[in-house]
Amino acid sequence: MSERTGLGVVEIALLEALETSRFLRCDKALASVEERIGLAPGYAYEVLVDLARPWTMPVNLVQGQGNFGSRGNDPPANFRYTEARVTRAGRAALAAERAEMAPLPIAIINGNTYRAGLRPPFRPHAVFDAVREAIRRPGVTDAELTGMVGPPYFLTGCAVAGDLTALAAGRRTELSLQAQVSVSDDRRTVVIENIPPNVSTDDTASIIASRATASRWASDHPGLHRVTHLPLADLRNETSDRSSPFGRIVCTPTPGTPPEQLREMLLEVTGVRTTMPVALPRPLPDLIRHWVQANAGEGLLDSLAALEHAIP
Amino acid sequence: MLVGSAALWLRGQIACVADADAVIEPGERNIHRLRGGLAGIAIGPVPSADRFSGGSVVPVATAYGKVDCLMERGRRDWSRLRRGAGFLLVADVPVLAASSSDAWNLRRRFKERANE
Repeated sequence: MSERTGLGVVEIALLEALETSRFLRCDKALASVEERIGLAPGYAYEVLVDLARPWTMPVNLVQGQGNFGSRGNDPPANFRYTEARVTRAGRAALAAERAEMAPLPIAIINGNTYRAGLRPPFRPHAVFDAVREAIRRPGVTDAELTGMVGPPYFLTGCAVAGDLTALAAGRRTELSLQAQVSVSDDRRTVVIENIPPNVSTDDTASIIASRATASRWASDHPGLHRVTHLPLADLRNETSDRSSPFGRIVCTPTPGTPPEQLREMLLEVTGVRTTMPVALPRPLPDLIRHWVQANAGEGLLDSLAALEHAIP
Repeated sequence: MLVGSAALWLRGQIACVADADAVIEPGERNIHRLRGGLAGIAIGPVPSADRFSGGSVVPVATAYGKVDCLMERGRRDWSRLRRGAGFLLVADVPVLAASSSDAWNLRRRFKERANE
């Protein structure tokens, strides 16, 4: 991992290959990556797809054009049919890599849970504020820094709970991620949105649908059936790239079922609620202080401002 | 038999349950029964009988959460675990759960290995 941005070798090679003003066909970019670091296109494309998907990491480094897959089970199109280019944040990352600007805490912000790693992402502006505070006020307390950074932040907007104290202390723990489940204004449906990032929206819809059909053991175990069966008359997966990229599943309760009752049951369904193992390489305040100290003497405030302006 | 955090939770212990760890009595017939049971709730195809008979841990995603089938543990420790286990009623279904001490021991062993 690069010490200046925390990006990996493959990520940096991809950004360099995609540093064009116009969209570049991904197969060409991947050929360039193979030439630079010898990584076969199939492997590099997996990393590129993660970088290009708009829901994976808070600081988006690559903008994709074409079919990069969905939050459901749709895979991305072959790299011959997709295009990409670096974003403004990606350009800032490259500038930091080349020492044209001071380092950037991109790895602290983006984490690596999108590639099944343990480091969770955090809200970019919260990390910027904490880093600035650590620069301006070296005596800032651990509690203050932890409070400024806040809980992990996933772009899908799911609720995050868990032992955040353990996480901030650098201990391995488990986060509970929950979609937003609400009763519609007309009380006819229950809407699931902001589905956790570590589950496919198609799988979540399938799980809910399967829980609404009568199991073959229902007659043998009516008590178990009663507590596990979802009283669902209809289900629509309205997740779409444009209007609801982070997931939207609309559930209609069976006649006579109060929507609030269905909502309570849906909150416990796998996919609506998931868990994610997380750990930081060291306590969160140390992580920030160490990063600031390691890069003292460089214009960190300027580089932070540049990255801040580069992200929406 | 349920072991791990799900067994602890059923026994009233404080445990974060992320998945269900299950152990079965070794034998082809039981693997067949396990696969049959999982087929009704699994998301996607159930792993082959060969995977269950030769595998160490076989994870299966179901509509009720992830089930880790601890096959190696069953082959090695079924008799010992069964001695301390007992049936607990979940809704109207009797569920065989490992004793608290066995469940804690297994959990510690796995978690410590995962953290190494």
